[in-house]
Amino acid sequence: MFLLLPFQVVPDDLNTNLTATQQELYQGIIQEVRCLVCQNQSIAESNAELAKDLREEIFQQVEQGRNEAQVKSYLQERYGDFVLYEPSFKQSTYFLWLSPILILILILGWLRKIGVF
Amino acid sequence: MKRLLPIAIFLGLFILLARSLFVPQMDLPSPLIGKQIPSFSLNELGKSSTVTHQDLLGDIALINIWATWCVGCEIEHDFLVELSLDQDLDIPIIGINWKDRDDLATRWLIQKGNPYSKILSDPIGNTAIDFGVYGAPETFLIDDQGIIHYKHIGPMDRQNFEQDILPRIVALRK
Repeated sequence: MFLLLPFQVVPDDLNTNLTATQQELYQGIIQEVRCLVCQNQSIAESNAELAKDLREEIFQQVEQGRNEAQVKSYLQERYGDFVLYEPSFKQSTYFLWLSPILILILILGWLRKIGVF
Repeated sequence: MKRLLPIAIFLGLFILLARSLFVPQMDLPSPLIGKQIPSFSLNELGKSSTVTHQDLLGDIALINIWATWCVGCEIEHDFLVELSLDQDLDIPIIGINWKDRDDLATRWLIQKGNPYSKILSDPIGNTAIDFGVYGAPETFLIDDQGIIHYKHIGPMDRQNFEQDILPRIVALRK
């Protein structure tokens, strides 16, 4: 029981007018948003003032019925791609996203060439 | 030729990865550059009058996000006062007092001098989020239409002002 405690999100925002789905959405988003003050924490984990403010903002938006894409683009418009842990798929990140497939193809080609199959 | 292929791949990857080593990590680009300042309606510090984004149009100006709890703002403050007294430069500095108390902010300005032509109070921090602020002090350069041209993160001083901000002001005034 006590072992589980550190993994619970600090309940400074546990006043719940949110439906179960909305709560799940809220929890999901705050774990994918980077705390810009501390950078290697998500805003779910951080106690920095800005992280609290952003959690509150996201909470309100979820409460108002906005979806994940809307909340994320709200943050991106203000803080840039860096605020999201998962980079969006666009010109500057094509290489990042497609390189695993590229490498896989190269390896398969090489394996074929040396006669593995 | 066949032996050269792995070397070529290695070199290609090496250059790609090495390049990102030298791109400064802390330099987070603001997506707001080239865009209009966000809309807001805030109280003027210590007054009951409100100021909106439209009241900031008409001048090339600096918008400075600050707070009395912010150590960097204390370092920066003397330089801001110096800038505000510079008759030749003559640029208005608009302050946004971020997540602070009006009484503390007012006392700070009496003690240290007031470089601001207008000071808006953002106690909850909503406007700061719209500006994409993540730490004070931050300073935005806007033109007379309210378009953001530059964002400076951290304390301004004579050196970084003359290097990064002054040339942009001069260019805007041409």
